[in-house]
Amino acid sequence: MFILDLILSLWRSLAGLVWFSNQNFPKSLSVYIRSNDGKKLSVDLDPKWDIKSVKEIVGPKLGLEAEEIKIILAGKELDDSTIIEEIDLGEQSTVYCVPLDHKGKTKQKSVNKILVNLPEEEVITFHVACSHCHGIKHGKLRVRCAECKSGAITVDRDPASWSDVLNPSLISGHCEEQGCAAGPVAWCEFYFRCKEHVSADDIAIPLPLIHANLRSIPCLACNDVRDPVVVFECSDRHTICLECFGRYASIRLRERSFVFSRQYGYTLACPAGCEGSFITEPHHFRILLQTEYELYQRFAAEECVLQGGGVLCPRPGCGAGIFPDDDCNRVACQCGYVFCKRCLEGFHIGECGERDSAAEGGTSGGYSVDPARAAQARWDEASKRTIKVSTKPCPKCRIPTERDGGCMHMLCARCTFEWCWVCQTEWTRDCMGSHWFG
Amino acid sequence: MALRFSKSKHNTKVILDGERWERRLQKELMSLIKEPPPGVVVDSDQGENLSLWTIKMRGAEGTLYEGENFTLQFKFSPKYPFDSPEVTFIGPNIPVHPHVYSNGHICLSILTDDWSPALSVQTVCLSIVSMLSSCKEKKRPPDNSFYVKTCNKNPKKTKWWYHDDTV
Repeated sequence: MFILDLILSLWRSLAGLVWFSNQNFPKSLSVYIRSNDGKKLSVDLDPKWDIKSVKEIVGPKLGLEAEEIKIILAGKELDDSTIIEEIDLGEQSTVYCVPLDHKGKTKQKSVNKILVNLPEEEVITFHVACSHCHGIKHGKLRVRCAECKSGAITVDRDPASWSDVLNPSLISGHCEEQGCAAGPVAWCEFYFRCKEHVSADDIAIPLPLIHANLRSIPCLACNDVRDPVVVFECSDRHTICLECFGRYASIRLRERSFVFSRQYGYTLACPAGCEGSFITEPHHFRILLQTEYELYQRFAAEECVLQGGGVLCPRPGCGAGIFPDDDCNRVACQCGYVFCKRCLEGFHIGECGERDSAAEGGTSGGYSVDPARAAQARWDEASKRTIKVSTKPCPKCRIPTERDGGCMHMLCARCTFEWCWVCQTEWTRDCMGSHWFG
Repeated sequence: MALRFSKSKHNTKVILDGERWERRLQKELMSLIKEPPPGVVVDSDQGENLSLWTIKMRGAEGTLYEGENFTLQFKFSPKYPFDSPEVTFIGPNIPVHPHVYSNGHICLSILTDDWSPALSVQTVCLSIVSMLSSCKEKKRPPDNSFYVKTCNKNPKKTKWWYHDDTV
């Protein structure tokens, strides 16, 4: 009997599926409806429906009449006549449904559109750095209550600029979440979501330098009019297309010629070299390939250590950043390597200078080994020797430097010190006069 | 170079096949042929190789170089315009100027340290014309013979110290 029941219910559900597909739903959108008392429903909506139909479906599920509720998305109450596919509602988005408080409602422009002062019919896109998708993606603007983090909030004033969006506590709102301490006097907190992956709660970082090229400005580098573009914050507001920006960042990264700014970190300025044009939000460098971005992060961390007076552990494969004591030259890295702060060779007593590399490497294991054979059996020996023979350390930061032709005037790519390959000290006019080219 | 047309909703875009830097060079070449700076003549036939240009330059009237003809060579790398072009005087007549070495190398900061992608072949030509025009005395750089004997063929392998903005 039980088995029969099971088969019957299976059959019914199968039939239900068939019946459902017969309805010929064009493309259903699965969204969450959250009420202000914490209830959460999942509903499938037809993108062609208007908000009134949504209310008719959702209201009864919350025990309310359709006329008694309002639907809130991104800080705005949605008008009954709004069609779902016209608003910025993605798969598995959350909209808020709260009881109506009898205020007269007016049709409101969506926050997204007011922000850039666009006519309603234009489609605008925000760009965000998404840590999930590893790159620059389209984003959508959302609002929540700064107090209780609920999205059941309506804004009192529309944001008029990026600063309204990026700084919390500039725009007030009315939080309709039950039990929220802020209630009708809440601060609005704007945030972004990545549009390109379905996410419940991960937040994307807005990239305010990336603009839609509404003014058809040609790119500084390729001269084409492209969309979108990166607009730098210099007085000329120099503009470069996103693709050229990617090339710019990639080329500068490989030359290790990003700039370390105390205020903004490891960054780039406008390619025309304008004053005050540093990129202040480093997530714009998400334009780099993932491997390049990891390199960027490494360089940035190393630069931060070096600029702060620290050293990097010279052991191959380690490179940990260490801030040594001022009064001691002996630095012990967590990896176990102990080295001299000044010459970055294995630690030694007395002055820095040439030493037999066999003296490095710590305690003897107690075995007697033929020294000649041991010397041949060193994995890194060949590359170590190559580095020793073909490079000279920068007199300031000690980084091994190779001279690839050209003159003797060296510019350290790591610490920007200008030095002479021959004298191994600072470059002078005398160097230029007597051995500029050797 | 083939043209490909692609239609978007708002306008029709012309997309030239090829890399971005080649397309910018193509554009620069076209505008330079159409509207060359005074005293500059660009041969429209630059050959197949877009990364190597030769440009003819005439000494401006009323300057020390009046009546002289020079040839400039531009070499571009795929990093252009984020990397500056390699610019030298070539041919039998190298201008005698305090910033021009007898092997054709030019000591001009916009060619290395002060280069920016906002500059172009056009602006480089204009700078060189004005550098020549403002010259008061025809002479080679003081370290000419030493430099020319020892330097690398590529002027970008020289790290210059720019000091004199008066000439």
